[in-house]
Amino acid sequence: MMKKKKKQDNVAYAMIAPYYIFMLVFILLPILINIFLSFTDYNLNTMNFVGLKNYTRMLNDPILKKSIINTLVYSVVTLVLNMGLGLLISILVLRTGKALGVIRTIIFLPYVISMASASMIWLWIYEPGYGLLNSIITYFGGVSKDWVYDVKLAMGCIILVTVWKFVGYNMVIYTSGIMNIPAQLYEAAMIDGANVWNQFKYITWPMLRPITFFLMITGFINNFNVFEQVSILTGGGPVNSTTTLMHQIYIRGFVDYQFGYASAITVLMMVVVSIVTALNFRYGSQGQNTDLS
Amino acid sequence: MTNKKMSPVITILLLLLCVIMLIPFAVMLSTSLKSMQEIYSRGGVMHFFIPKEVHWENFIDAFKFGGANWLKYFGNSLLVTVVTILVSLCINSMAGYAFARLNFRGRDVLFFASLVGMMIPPQATIVPVFFILRHFPLAGGNSILGQGGTGFINTHFALVAPYLAGAYGVFLFRQHFLNFPKSLDDAATVDGLGRFGIFVRIYIPLSKPIFATLMTTKAIQCWNDYTWPLIVTSSEEMRTLQVALVLFKDAVTTQWNYLMVVTCIIILPLLILFFVAQKSFVEGIVSSGIKG
Repeated sequence: MMKKKKKQDNVAYAMIAPYYIFMLVFILLPILINIFLSFTDYNLNTMNFVGLKNYTRMLNDPILKKSIINTLVYSVVTLVLNMGLGLLISILVLRTGKALGVIRTIIFLPYVISMASASMIWLWIYEPGYGLLNSIITYFGGVSKDWVYDVKLAMGCIILVTVWKFVGYNMVIYTSGIMNIPAQLYEAAMIDGANVWNQFKYITWPMLRPITFFLMITGFINNFNVFEQVSILTGGGPVNSTTTLMHQIYIRGFVDYQFGYASAITVLMMVVVSIVTALNFRYGSQGQNTDLS
Repeated sequence: MTNKKMSPVITILLLLLCVIMLIPFAVMLSTSLKSMQEIYSRGGVMHFFIPKEVHWENFIDAFKFGGANWLKYFGNSLLVTVVTILVSLCINSMAGYAFARLNFRGRDVLFFASLVGMMIPPQATIVPVFFILRHFPLAGGNSILGQGGTGFINTHFALVAPYLAGAYGVFLFRQHFLNFPKSLDDAATVDGLGRFGIFVRIYIPLSKPIFATLMTTKAIQCWNDYTWPLIVTSSEEMRTLQVALVLFKDAVTTQWNYLMVVTCIIILPLLILFFVAQKSFVEGIVSSGIKG
């Protein structure tokens, strides 16, 4: 930023070196190595160059196709629920005044615990024989369901756990965004006689656009990588109805030892993530002009 | 939002929401105190939340069940988390300071190149990072070409290293240090402090909240992670709590009370940290969200 000719601080290289070494070895280098591996049949012991075989195999892999559809469905539904509910709750919570802190803490609580523990608790809630969910349903005279063991319901179960865990995160970010909107805007709007809906439509929503965009991009990328919930709650089943891209990478690589194929799937994943990130850089910058912090 | 009038509908709605959010915690707690007999008896919905008989001994028996060495797993999780926090606080604050305050050739290029690190989600690189750790030259019986041994697989280093690579901390510190007045540096230079001295004596003591923020962020990341330890460790020696919990699920199958006991204990440290340092937690979330 400073164009003045200044003394070189060579100590800087030493200060960024540790960070940069880890960055190169564990983030940048892996991207290159992954591309290389995707042209091989590496299986822990041997490695041969196989050309495009992994990629042609991807084209004819019905489970992979299924996993792509599952990942997209999961990502979009989770994103919409997390952001929609997060925004709604943050608007409601901000109207509570004194109780704000307590309510916010409670809603944020699940974010703190691990996905593994969250999955354990929900696995018990979903348990078909004696779990809470079926107990409530049968109490009200309904029919028990198999939840995570039901082809039609399993994905919904995974989404529910994720929303329970992450809606608080979205709420916290939206809340801080709303609190940063200048109060005068609302005062002026009220003088003009704008009702609550119009205040939201013409002030809150447009002012939150950069945050919404940020949550959308990062949320999509995170959802696109869903693995832990899937692996623990359903193991991708029943009959691959919940397997996702990340779960396929894990299964192909670390269960089947077909690392070359897993790398090829990873390449696909990285391409998608890069496109979304590029969108962020192309269109997200407009948000940085808005003074938020 | 200046409108502070609360309609009763909103109050009830939020109250209901809070109850729903807390139900899984209540179920976990009450199940952990029940006997299996009670768990497998039908007693209405309320019995889910209040055990008829409280079995405190579950909290001892669960950890004896199936010959799992929970102390070892706890130690591993703790070690990984503490080391990650300490090392990443060091290297990230140093780099953040250098990028924010020092003049060196290639500074901006190097900084923006490391942006890439924030774009690729760490889970996406499990295969190549595993490959690098396994074939790291001269590690774990490997030859100079990375052949023959198991590299860093099944070591504490493999558990920690990838967590250290994140760029988030550097951005956090850089952002924070950029707000410091430059006159501070000049005054310290006059007093005879070098660049590194200024960082250690002046910048670090003035940045405690940022250190706390990064600490909580890293604590969540490391303590809670399941994917990474699952992939780079297979020996019981290196097992972390999250992986052990999932393996325990398969081992106890229907012993829900024991499973919930272990879940309780595993989430406890972070819950405590959360209530002690709630502000830092939220700050970490918000700064990753808005300034990120």
